[in-house]
Amino acid sequence: MNLSCVSKRAVPWLFLAPALSLLGIFTLLPMLRAAGWSFTNADLLQVDAARWIGGANYSDLLADPRFRQAFFNTAFFALMVVPVQAALAFFLALWVNRPERHWRWLRTVFFIPVVVSMPVLAVLWTMLYQPMRGDQMGLINSLVTHLGLPAQAWLQNPRLALPALAFMSIWQGLGFQMMIFLAGLQNLSVDQLEAAKIDGANSRQRLWHIIVPAMRPSIIFVLTATLILSFRLFVQPYLMTRGGPEGATVSLIQVIYETTFLGREVGMACAGAMLFLLLVAALTLLQRLLAREVRS
Amino acid sequence: MKRWIGWTVSVAVAIGFLLPLIWMLHASFRPESAVFAGGFRALLSGHGLGLGNYVVAWRRAALGIGLLNSLLQIVGILGLGLLFNSMAAYALARLEFPGRRGLFALMLVLLILPVEVLVVPLLLTVRDLGLTGGHGRTLAALILPFAVKAFNIYFLRQHFLALPRDLEEAAVVDGAGPFRIYWSVALPSIRPALATVVVLDVLTHWSDFIWPLVVCTREETRTVQLSLANLFTQPPIQWGQILACAVMVTLPVLLLFRLAQRHIVASDLGAGIKD
Amino acid sequence: MALVCFCGRLARSLLRTVLIAIVMAGCGPDRSHDPRIVRVWCQQGQESENQAMRAMAAAFNEAHAVQGLEVQLTFFPDFQYTEKVSIAAAARDLPDVLALDGPTVAQFVNARLLRPIAETFSAEELDDFAPTLRAQGTIDGVLYALGAFDSAMVLYYDRDMLARAGVQPPAGFAGWNWDEFLAACAQLKAAGFDPVSLHLDITGDEWYTYAFSPVVWSAGGRLISTDGRHVLGVLNRPQNAEALRRWQEVFEQDYASRSPIDPDPFGNGKTAMDWSGHWMARSHLEHKGARLGAMPLPSLGDQPVAACGSWCWGITRNARHPDDAALWLRWVTDPVHGIQPIVEANGAVPARRSAYPLFPDYDQTPFLLFRELQAHFGQARPRTPFYPTLTQQFAAALRDIARGADPQARLDRAAAQVQRLIDRKEAQP
Repeated sequence: MNLSCVSKRAVPWLFLAPALSLLGIFTLLPMLRAAGWSFTNADLLQVDAARWIGGANYSDLLADPRFRQAFFNTAFFALMVVPVQAALAFFLALWVNRPERHWRWLRTVFFIPVVVSMPVLAVLWTMLYQPMRGDQMGLINSLVTHLGLPAQAWLQNPRLALPALAFMSIWQGLGFQMMIFLAGLQNLSVDQLEAAKIDGANSRQRLWHIIVPAMRPSIIFVLTATLILSFRLFVQPYLMTRGGPEGATVSLIQVIYETTFLGREVGMACAGAMLFLLLVAALTLLQRLLAREVRS
Repeated sequence: MKRWIGWTVSVAVAIGFLLPLIWMLHASFRPESAVFAGGFRALLSGHGLGLGNYVVAWRRAALGIGLLNSLLQIVGILGLGLLFNSMAAYALARLEFPGRRGLFALMLVLLILPVEVLVVPLLLTVRDLGLTGGHGRTLAALILPFAVKAFNIYFLRQHFLALPRDLEEAAVVDGAGPFRIYWSVALPSIRPALATVVVLDVLTHWSDFIWPLVVCTREETRTVQLSLANLFTQPPIQWGQILACAVMVTLPVLLLFRLAQRHIVASDLGAGIKD
Repeated sequence: MALVCFCGRLARSLLRTVLIAIVMAGCGPDRSHDPRIVRVWCQQGQESENQAMRAMAAAFNEAHAVQGLEVQLTFFPDFQYTEKVSIAAAARDLPDVLALDGPTVAQFVNARLLRPIAETFSAEELDDFAPTLRAQGTIDGVLYALGAFDSAMVLYYDRDMLARAGVQPPAGFAGWNWDEFLAACAQLKAAGFDPVSLHLDITGDEWYTYAFSPVVWSAGGRLISTDGRHVLGVLNRPQNAEALRRWQEVFEQDYASRSPIDPDPFGNGKTAMDWSGHWMARSHLEHKGARLGAMPLPSLGDQPVAACGSWCWGITRNARHPDDAALWLRWVTDPVHGIQPIVEANGAVPARRSAYPLFPDYDQTPFLLFRELQAHFGQARPRTPFYPTLTQQFAAALRDIARGADPQARLDRAAAQVQRLIDRKEAQP
């Protein structure tokens, strides 16, 4: 009797124990340590000798020109990717949301770049963006010259490098956002749409007055998720341009990485990580507020 | 007739959209001097194609070891993760205990934590735990931090919640304890969700970059993406070989995706959005 | 009952996963009788240098096969080297022996990652090494690193092109002062030649600091105070700004060639002069033959100043068999086994006097000048644990100054950045 009483109360915790211990050790603990370190001058190779320096990391980081450049680069990148990718994904979802087999096949096609990993695509697109050397050039320049425009050194030009990365990222993630929109579209009330058709609404009116409002949760989710994903930019600048040319593609995460492994300043890197976390938290909060507003 | 037009349009769009990948495949068979030649016309020629790049790239990038490490990492993450995540999800969905709501709120908070934020403190934590250096230890460092994910717990919880209670109630009547209900009734019923989690985890960790970059300090511990990155930056830079390596790195996941496609129902992904 | 059953299943699936992992990780040839392995990391240099290193490792393995000792050499691209070393150091998984760029020794010593190596050599052997090389690896009186060669930077020139433009190169080992240099550039430009190549297209930061610190030094300036703690007020001294303003004239007058695609415009006959160093000596000799001339870098003071210091070797503190690691260190700095192959590959200045007879062609241009410079005018880059940030900021400042920024303002900014870092790292409790 006693045994079963004890084990009954312990049961949920037995279920939770493995997950909680792993999360505790490998997620919570590092986060707490990072928060602590962000107020110290911890050095990568001598972390234990860290000394308290208050908010100096934060103020120095926010005043650091490279950090600021990274922030503006990353924000600009997000600004290019989020609206374009979301809009394209939405209209693609509308387009392929039909039962015929070839449309379902096309959905898979759009999803393939998502399955191909980002490092592979970073390497591939570095080659696609190769500038012209004699008659050798990357595919993008081939395309561009076919259209009569001059070939560019896409990744070596400070003004073109970030848009080039954005273009490639939009192409890569399109399929995933499209799938999420598809899910939302397929959950739409068919009756509502049928009623509207009977009432004589044309497709444009159906789109703007029924579909888009009903899709608001998905739209908000996609926008926020893409925004957060864009700010996590690292692989593309690291492999394709190394943050150049002249810092035009340096990203926030890259600055945190460099601060850790080139500058060896763990304290400052953790401060950067905390700031980044705040940003992500703020964006997520915004999404939930907007989503709640939709439901009410 | 209409179907024929439909297919033509679809194929044309597909070719246009996938052109970069088609080029990647074709150019990986070309000799080094021809990799960047000629643009479109070159795509149609079969002249001079061969497997040379693949053979050399396999050796230079040590892809055998890279594939093994990535495979072990994923098997480890799935092996531990499927069990631990579903157990926690079940507890949050079906079991009563004090602090349940608080714990779920904590999950929601952890949900948004990107791995990039964790990299630095996690490296130092993993170092302090002695999980760096040798092969087995680095593998542990690749697996343990990512076996349990707040998203997976959240996702599986939603699916547990959506199960009709009759099966479980029947099991209770039959005298089954919570473990048996979980293992024999609930878990099998959410098999599609488990499959989705498997596919998502494989996609995520096959393309892991920043964490292996930081934790794999030796050649023999490198995962597949690091093998590619290494080939990409080590002189002499041979573009054909790099492409061949890229193709070999992509094939396993493409295959898996093809096999698992029927399990990924679009509506499943959508279920995660409804709060 | 179900609990037991369940736990059993749980344990079994866990065990299965773990077993698979262990078996597969351990699967491989039986290594219990394997040779002792010394892990060595090296930066990737020019292909000739890499080949020399590989040959050196092969020769070492052959010579020590009887003892069951083997060296495992791993190369990393130059731009990634610091990063990889930091990552490995953070993970406490550094190799046994490490190649280090001279100025970075201080930070590794500061982080207690290197072992003292003075005991590896006898007193006579240590004396055989050039004083600059011993100084490069000595921090606070203890020797931590030694190299097989030292670097030298010169201004190469094409005798024919200069003659055709009516420019008279200086005689002997003398160099130009800055006015003479600018005048020569003007004459060359008027005669239709591209005056000088400064290799500004190199993406790494270290090139800028290494190549153009002599400009500041020759004017009597420093980058950091002698105690290594003050940059503000030292780096941005008005004299340094003035020196860099004169350097900026090269760009204002458009004397520096800007050809992003060609990494060797001098060797390919496009420019008349090359601001470069020992690593191009053999290549330039091949291209130019007797037409090749070399002079010290132009100076803003009375005497030429040459940057020296280069890659050296250190043994890490976590080396499992430090004696074995020491054997590699001795091998790689040995005149016949180590110095000869590498210097033949890269044309640098041999680190040891006893190695000079091995290079009969070293009493001609430009090698004779290298030795002369290193012996009398060589100055090493600052030995400070804050070197990475110092070089990053200084290089960034130089880049902007080359593009027309105001030297004083730019130096002020760079010095402030570095000083902030020093203040953070040195924070008093």
